[in-house]
Amino acid sequence: MKRKRYKLGISYLASVILMSLLGACTPTPAEEPALPVESATFPIETTDQADRVVRVEKMPEKIISLAPSNTEILYALGLEDRLVGVTEYCNYPEAAKEKPQIGGFSTVDIEKVVEIEPDLILATNIHKDEIVPQLERLGLTVLTIDPKTVDEVLEAINLIGQFTGKAEEASQLTAEMEKQIKAVTDKTAALTEAQKPRVFYILWHDPLMTVGSETRIHELIEKAGGINIAQGLPDEYPRISLEAVIMANPQVIIAGSGHGTGQDAPFHFALTEPRLAEVEARQNGLIYEIDSDLTSRPGLRIVDGLEKLAEFIHPELFKESQ
Amino acid sequence: MIKIEMQDVCLGYGRKVVLKDLTFQVSPGEMVGLIGPNGCGKSTIIRALSHTISSYSGKILLDGQDVTKIPRRQLAQLLGVVPQMPLLPSAFTAFEIVLMGRNPHLGLFQYEGPKELAIACQAMEKTGTQSLAGRRVSELSGGEIQGLLIARVLAQETKAILLDEPTANLDIGRQIEILDLIKNLCRENNLTVLAALHDLNLASQYCDRLVLISNGRIQAEGTPREVITARNIADVYGAESCVYTHPVNGLPCVLLNTGNNKMARPEGVIKEL
Amino acid sequence: MNIAPPIHFLHWRSRIYGILGLFILLIVVALLAVAVGSVNIPFSTTSSILICKLPLVKMTPTWTSALETIILEIRLPRVIMAGLVGAALATAGATYQGLFRNPLADPYLIGVAQGAALGAVIGFLLPSSWHSVGFGIIPLLAFCGALASTAIVYSLARVGKTLPVTILILAGVALGALLGSIVSYLIISSGERIHSIMFWLMGSFSLSQWSEVTVILPYMFLGMFIILLYARPLNLMQLDEEQAQQLGINVERLKLVLLSAATLITAAAVSFVGIIGFVGIIIPHAVRLIWGADHRFLLPLSILTGAVFLILADLIARTALAPTEIPVGVITALCGAPFFLYLLRRKRKVIF
Repeated sequence: MKRKRYKLGISYLASVILMSLLGACTPTPAEEPALPVESATFPIETTDQADRVVRVEKMPEKIISLAPSNTEILYALGLEDRLVGVTEYCNYPEAAKEKPQIGGFSTVDIEKVVEIEPDLILATNIHKDEIVPQLERLGLTVLTIDPKTVDEVLEAINLIGQFTGKAEEASQLTAEMEKQIKAVTDKTAALTEAQKPRVFYILWHDPLMTVGSETRIHELIEKAGGINIAQGLPDEYPRISLEAVIMANPQVIIAGSGHGTGQDAPFHFALTEPRLAEVEARQNGLIYEIDSDLTSRPGLRIVDGLEKLAEFIHPELFKESQ
Repeated sequence: MIKIEMQDVCLGYGRKVVLKDLTFQVSPGEMVGLIGPNGCGKSTIIRALSHTISSYSGKILLDGQDVTKIPRRQLAQLLGVVPQMPLLPSAFTAFEIVLMGRNPHLGLFQYEGPKELAIACQAMEKTGTQSLAGRRVSELSGGEIQGLLIARVLAQETKAILLDEPTANLDIGRQIEILDLIKNLCRENNLTVLAALHDLNLASQYCDRLVLISNGRIQAEGTPREVITARNIADVYGAESCVYTHPVNGLPCVLLNTGNNKMARPEGVIKEL
Repeated sequence: MNIAPPIHFLHWRSRIYGILGLFILLIVVALLAVAVGSVNIPFSTTSSILICKLPLVKMTPTWTSALETIILEIRLPRVIMAGLVGAALATAGATYQGLFRNPLADPYLIGVAQGAALGAVIGFLLPSSWHSVGFGIIPLLAFCGALASTAIVYSLARVGKTLPVTILILAGVALGALLGSIVSYLIISSGERIHSIMFWLMGSFSLSQWSEVTVILPYMFLGMFIILLYARPLNLMQLDEEQAQQLGINVERLKLVLLSAATLITAAAVSFVGIIGFVGIIIPHAVRLIWGADHRFLLPLSILTGAVFLILADLIARTALAPTEIPVGVITALCGAPFFLYLLRRKRKVIF
């Protein structure tokens, strides 16, 4: 019947798009770059974070980024002059918005990309199944970034640096980031379980979604000295029932913002949902909002995200250092 | 006691006019037969009388009132129809179908009480269909269904009844049974009955008057002796020399004579009507 | 009298018993659904919390307010919502099937679902500052979309003073397809809002609250009351329209009234909860298989059966893989289809 087919089609579409949206995919182990970091000579051939072997013959002059996180990294490595294509969502730094746009969230305008004739394309796990093979069939070079942990984010930055002849800048950047991360974890490592507050991270409120233990955000929460109340849940971005949240009685609620500002944002939900009134976080007013770009994007600003989370979760340890 | 009247009525479907200048009446206690060849418009007349189609012009009066002005429910209390080949929902039982005939007498909030059930029962007994009561409609034969429809219209307890080929599928015994029933009811309760019949003999035997329809108008009207004549039959049906006199009651009866249909003539010109 | 009345009283008796039995089953299932959830709460606590809320009962609470919130503010409104929506969809489905004399009819036949979806998607895409209008702009727009699309279909299908049902179905399917494609396009271009929209479309009771229940209750009562009132005329509509007219039914008025009432309750059901399929088409058929097609019993039995079914389906949806939730539409299809096939095999009788 028409209605059933429509529903099936929509469900299929939903699952495809949801998967891309939430970055759910089969885990692939990231590989250490095979060559020593200092080597800036081309050609380079190694395995990227999607287990593909990538080969670049010469220094790439025209680079396209298929994800905002990659764009941020490129800017941080001083490659903005060679960046010739970004997505609609690349909004940091401000200057990135001026670059020519070649795609949206998980969609890529293949024709535009081909027209530009890039030497290197930086993709992420969303693009892995369909877009990357398609681009490679067209003879383009694609490097896929897919960091599962914070450490892998640092590796990703190094990998990009390697492939763009900015290996030194990359290692400096990652060293700096490591220092900042350590500054946080040194303080939180000493905490006992009892001292770590229960944290509920709201990814989205309708449906109520949070982060599971396989995610980077979960890792950030742990590094910041909190206990993710959803850590027992199976998926990466599981739905959680309101009942379970009430029972878990989180002491700190952090809502990711940026998906919908104003009334329908998860932050507003956390503040006003009447059935959460008895929860500790609400009683003590420990409800915070964080720009989800800082926590979700596997780029350099993940460190800022960590620091902010640490401030929210352990203000007594971190407020003064800011 | 109500009178059915048609005055200068013109009927059709869409833009096509099927019948014109229809003027006749049926009085209480009278059983009038509508006869004519296939497709002459008998069903159309019945539909117009029960206001399921509208007339182009002319007046259709029921007891002096314009039939288009009478509210549906009231109309159904006055006039009952036995349709020709109706659609019946197969999931209902025979008794439920007959019980539906009580609908015009029930208000929106009312449900069938013991009185309604009794009336429906009686109607089924009178038509000899009470043994079918618990059976589903899908299991019944055409003849049994026709019996049911008659029972339904009896249960409706109306002052006037329109019948569209009520005996088409019945065997000769049942035909006589049903028509005797209707004739008796007509007489005893002073009902106004109009029946479209294709069997000229039945029409002749049972109807007080006949209306012969052909070529979109009334060809003849009157008693069976006046209407069922050799000439009328030949003109309207094209079948020649068929009319004889019934040996017992002197009413005209039509007996078939093969091979004298003008269409079957191997040579010769088809007579213009 | 004679044989006939006893036979029918027999049928009526079994149907009345069915209604009573289902009513009791409904209460039991509702209690079960309130007692069971992703968080384990002992049954004694649940019943104490519920009893405490009855008037004239004084008890000192021995439970935490968190548990009370869960039972009274999360589960109870959710169960009531599921019951109302199930009842509404089943009733609307039975009504459409009766009106159109078509066993494939369901509440979404003439474009209600697509109209509601379009309204909701527009609501999702509006700037967020609009979202707190009244009870939320999304249910409001979904409701309006559902009613508007039905009104359009109705006016498209009218021929003079009559409303031929076949044309109504065709117009409904055509408009539904058009609206559906617009919805698909909007979904594709919705960017970040997409998972909220998809979630809404798949139907869920997860954030049902008392305010929603109080909003849709009057529409449900009104619509279902009107439909029940016209049960006997709906029986007569199973004959062809000509016979129904000859038996005193004003067919055009009946179509208008029943269509409006059925659309009203479907729109109310869909506006807060999204589009839950399967209930509207299968429950009336299942009821017919067991208890026959007389609408005077079919309708109340559909109300009760629909409510029980959807409460159970929602219960499974939220506990099977707790704490994650399966969309309830998946459960209704998974559980409903085999059960219906089983019924069909057992009773091979004519149901339509």
